[in-house]
Formats: sequence, structure tokens, C-alpha cells
Amino acid sequence: MWDKEQIKQYVFVIRELTGREIKRKYARSYLGILWSVLNPLLSMAVMSLIFSAMFKRSIENYPIYYLTGNIIWSFFTGATNSAMTALVDNKMMLIKVKLPMSIFPLSRCYTALVNFGYSIIAFTIMLLVFRIPLQPYILLFLLYAIGVFFFSLGMGYWLSVLYAIFGDIKHLYSILLMLWMYLSALFYPVENTTPMMQAIILRNPIYSFISSARKCILYAEFPSTEEWFRMCGWSIGMYLFGRLVFQKMQNKVLQKI
Amino acid sequence: MIEEKQIVIDIKHISMQFRIAKEASGSLKEFLIRMVGRQNSYQTISVLDDISFQAKEGDVIGIIGTNGSGKSTLLKIVSGALQPTSGTVMVDRSKVQLLTLGTGFDMELTARENVYLNGALIGYSKEYLDRTYDEIVAFAELEGFMGERMKNFSSGMVSRLGFAIATMRDTPEILILDEVLSVGDMFFRKKSEQRIQEMIHGGATVLIVSHSLDVILKNCNYAVWIEKGKLQMAGAVKEVCEGYRGYQNRKK
Repeated sequence: MWDKEQIKQYVFVIRELTGREIKRKYARSYLGILWSVLNPLLSMAVMSLIFSAMFKRSIENYPIYYLTGNIIWSFFTGATNSAMTALVDNKMMLIKVKLPMSIFPLSRCYTALVNFGYSIIAFTIMLLVFRIPLQPYILLFLLYAIGVFFFSLGMGYWLSVLYAIFGDIKHLYSILLMLWMYLSALFYPVENTTPMMQAIILRNPIYSFISSARKCILYAEFPSTEEWFRMCGWSIGMYLFGRLVFQKMQNKVLQKI
Repeated sequence: MIEEKQIVIDIKHISMQFRIAKEASGSLKEFLIRMVGRQNSYQTISVLDDISFQAKEGDVIGIIGTNGSGKSTLLKIVSGALQPTSGTVMVDRSKVQLLTLGTGFDMELTARENVYLNGALIGYSKEYLDRTYDEIVAFAELEGFMGERMKNFSSGMVSRLGFAIATMRDTPEILILDEVLSVGDMFFRKKSEQRIQEMIHGGATVLIVSHSLDVILKNCNYAVWIEKGKLQMAGAVKEVCEGYRGYQNRKK
């Protein structure tokens, strides 16, 4: 079973692997880790420049509306995209090292969580700039982030297995993500779409996190019971599903790579 | 009366088969084409076929055989990285340690960061690394270079560091060596060979895979010869090595 020493060791390994990913990512840039803060800010600036006039009537505080969705979306795509290749990238290690395989996708998702932490800094600055009242409601946002983390981790688990078996998943997934992004109402108001589109968007798991986050930050609202169920269901369900697939396929993956 | 030594590794009738798609492909397109064409044909490759042997406490066992005969697969099964298709391995996995050099080294990071990364991956705790860090650096003879990025290192420096980290720990009860008996330039080679000797003869049970019969003859008391996945011979090291040598000469 799990003993304390072992868990401590796994935590140490995950931290070292995460440290490597982050140092690697910024090894060749001058601003380094600062990019994790700047990136969401700059993309917010671009989107606001183009769309804020267009959606002025239906969305107040367009920059914050966009930024809330954007950092959740980047967290989700960053985690799943990097977790997908985690097993293949580390294939030499899988065979040589006495660690559970699941540690590799997990550390990639944790890296995305750390990056998300940096974008929270940018986000907080912007909340102050746009004079959004900082109410205790805002803390709910962190709870949603945990939900997104487990949802992404579950996806990451099964994607990493699938990628080890079919390399093409990488390309298919990038197309799927594009479609998914447009169905997540990142930069437009949901009300402007057709009833059918609205129905689809409302069933989108990522959108349920994004809309709840917007509610707590922009409108100081608590999500409805139905929304709570949806968020918990998606994150727990996807985590368990990913975990199950991963467990079942482990040996097959090792033979394949 | 001879005291009975305990059996620490007991390998019984192990077979390993890989199922490989005939046109080796990892792409969905080809998979679909094959599905549609109903020619979803797999080829079963037998890598290991009914291998059995035992290791007693303190045995040093050499595993020999030509390239691609399944030696590394066997080690992976013993260390627990792979599950055999059939057969059983009796071994206490918590005691098994596969000696690997520089696992996970990242050339973009500094040597210091790599000591912690590699150390974590091969199972050292943070406290242990803090404690032995200076010793590792001293053994690798890399004082003054630890703040450098590894990409500026020569290959000798990289392997010295890998060796120093990997062999720092107390020798485990069951040690597995896959062709890593000495590294570096002439001076370091002597030092590393000596350290390996200490590990091998410190009372641990050791499995060695090597192409060099001299290494096997020098260190082992028992040898296992595997050819094309089948057990050819197992027994006292001299006889097995002679048999293998004869086979090689005949092939030439």
C-alpha cells in the first residue's frame, strides 16, 4: 500500500520534473517565467482591441470576461496537450525507472497548474485595474480550478495512452480543440448564438467551469445546484475514466514504445 | 554441512511475446485502412521462450548471448518494468535496483539541477541528495562546473556525473547491471571499475549483462546463455562461456 516515505518521494519527483519543464520552456528567453504572466495579458489586449466594441452592449468589462475564460482554457489545453505526449517523450525513463507510469502525465498537468498560478497573478492585477470589487466569492474560482485540474488530468491519462498507440491523435486532437474552443464562448456572448448552439455550449464541460468562474468574478453569483453537479460530475467522472483506461492499458503501452 | 543459501530470484518458465502489426505503423490512418481491408494482421514475435533459472543470495550471474537474443527484455522482466506473457518471477521488487546512468538528464539544465532531477528519478530523497551532493561532485571530479549548463559538458563529463550519482547509494540487495561497468577516460575508468567491483563483491546478488566475456569470467560465478530467446546453457561460468565461444567460432 501507500506508505509515507514513498508518497514523499513521488512528490519530490513530480516537483523535479515540473521544475525541469518550466526551466526548459524558458531556457532560451530573457524574460523567462515572466512570459507566463505576460502571455494572457497580451492576448487579452489583442482580443479586447478587436472585439470589445463589437460586444459592448451584451458584455460589460469585456477584457475580464475574455481573460477569465482564456486562463481556464489555456490551463486545460496546456495540461492535456503536454500530458498527451508525456509517456512517449519519457519512454526511456519508463523502462529504466522504478516509478509508477502515471507520474509522468501527472507531472505535466501539475506543470500546467503552476503556469496557471502565474496567470492568476496577471489576472489579479487586471481585476484591480478594472476595479472589480474583490469579494470573498472570488475564492470560488480556485475551487473551479481544482475541478479543471482533475478533468484535464483524466483526459491527459487516456490521451497519453492513446498517443502511445496512435501517433495521429496529436493532429486529430488539435482539430478537436479548435472546435471545442469555438464552442466554449471564450470571446463572444452565448446569447448571440442560435438556440441549438446554445444548447451545445451549455453541455460543454469546460464551458460550465468558465461560466461559473465568470459568475463569481463579474456578477458575484453563486452557481446553481445543477451547475455544481455538472462540474463535480465532469471532473470526478473524467478523472476516474482516465485512471481506469490508464491502469488497463499500462502493460500494452510498455510493449508498444 | 553446507549452509543452504536462500533463493532470491526464481524465474520459472518465462515467455515473452510481442504482438507487432505486420506493417509496423503507429498511425490511425493505416490502422483504419487495415480494419476496413480486414487484414488486421499481427505477427507474434517470441522474444523469450520458456526461460528458467534461479539465483541464490550472493550469486553473481552473467547473462550472455548475441545481440537481440532477449537479454535486456529478461532484465526488464526481473526488474518489474515488463510483465511476461507467461511464467512467473519470484523476486522481492523492493530490493531490486537497475543501475542506470544519467536517466532524465536534461542538457538545458545546470549540472546541479540535473543531480537533483536524476537523483529523484532513481529514488533518492531530497535529504539524501543534500547530504551526499558534495561527495557526488567530488567523485565525478566536477568541482567548479556544477553551475554550468550540461550542454556545455563533454560526453565524458556527462557520463562521469551519471556514474557518480547512480553508484552513490548503498548497494541494494539485488543489483542489475546492463553494460555499465566502466565509463570515462582512462583514469576515471579505473576508479569506476573499482567502485563496480566493490558493489559486485559486497555480498549483493548481481545480474550482469555484458558483451565482454572477460568481464563475465572475471566477475561471475554462474552464467546463463540465451540465444534467440531460448535458454542454451546455464551453469558454472567457465563451461557456459566456453560453450558460447565455441558457438561463436562455429558461426564465423
